[in-house]
Amino acid sequence: MAARPAWLLRTVQGLAMALALLWLAGCASTPKSYVLLLPSPDGTVGKVIVTGANGEQVLDKAGQAASTDGRAIAVPPPQVQLDKDFSTTIAARPKLPVNYLLYFTTGTTLTSESQAQIPRIIADATSRSSIDISVIGHTDTIMTAEYNEQLALSRANAVVELLKSRGLNASAISVESHGKRNLLIQTPDNTFEPRNRRVEVSIR
Amino acid sequence: MKTPLVNMLVLVFALFATLGARAQDQPIGYVKTVAGEASITTAGARVKAEVGTPVYQGSLLQTGGKSSMGVTFKDETVMSFGADTTFSVDEYLYAPAQGKLKLGSKLSKGSLNYVSGVIAKLKPDAVSIATPTGVIGVRGTQFLVKVED
Repeated sequence: MAARPAWLLRTVQGLAMALALLWLAGCASTPKSYVLLLPSPDGTVGKVIVTGANGEQVLDKAGQAASTDGRAIAVPPPQVQLDKDFSTTIAARPKLPVNYLLYFTTGTTLTSESQAQIPRIIADATSRSSIDISVIGHTDTIMTAEYNEQLALSRANAVVELLKSRGLNASAISVESHGKRNLLIQTPDNTFEPRNRRVEVSIR
Repeated sequence: MKTPLVNMLVLVFALFATLGARAQDQPIGYVKTVAGEASITTAGARVKAEVGTPVYQGSLLQTGGKSSMGVTFKDETVMSFGADTTFSVDEYLYAPAQGKLKLGSKLSKGSLNYVSGVIAKLKPDAVSIATPTGVIGVRGTQFLVKVED
């Protein structure tokens, strides 16, 4: 039997050692209970602060992880680990809510551009298995607070009626009036501002 | 031994408990996805979770083995849970016009995928998720968390 060259043996031993170390590091670094930061669906990355008996960790880069007891995790959990722990969790995530803004010419009359949005809203809602919808009416700052509370409510109700008459079938619709209390464009009182005369429709 | 009468009484009790919970509070969210076994327990009444089942402040959300569930809240916070999960929504306030914003919850076991909504955007320190070994404070983002004994 020919002797194996010493360099080959050393390389094999070295590789085996490195693999064993990697494996150990992997085991040691991912605790059973941990938090992992992901980018938000819009691509931005926020921040999570994990506090426990073993310290406090601030996660602000995607892929960073910490033990739920506040201990740091040096090596991020490997992808196989994440798949094992979270693939069904991630698959169960509901469709993200969508929002539409509808604008009014005067009173409860929609602009023609907003009229044209209605079919898209209905199609969007119909594509979801369970629909709850929030409809919030707003006004600009012309006239009194009381008048605008009522007008914003009328706008919201008009949108609900329109959506229903076009075939919207929602299990739960909530209607609210924010009057002139929640301006999109900040203006002084008694200011004409078409962009504030709106109804927000959120499909969840 | 369970008789039809007992079953009926249990049903009536459950119905009243649910109505009681409903009279106090509006739903704070709805179940959007379910696979396998999942339930929502509110004010002591447990119902099987189905698409469209309401969630209230104080509800306990549970999934069984090989199961999952997804919930979308009023403020557009989106959460989904993997198998063998127990999660409670202890405090939920969403009245932006009055500045009342709070989401206090607890993941006792299992896994959660969290996507922040309006509460975290408007009031960054208003969202917290407790675990058996610590607290997760959220500043508007998406994250995963797993809790295992």
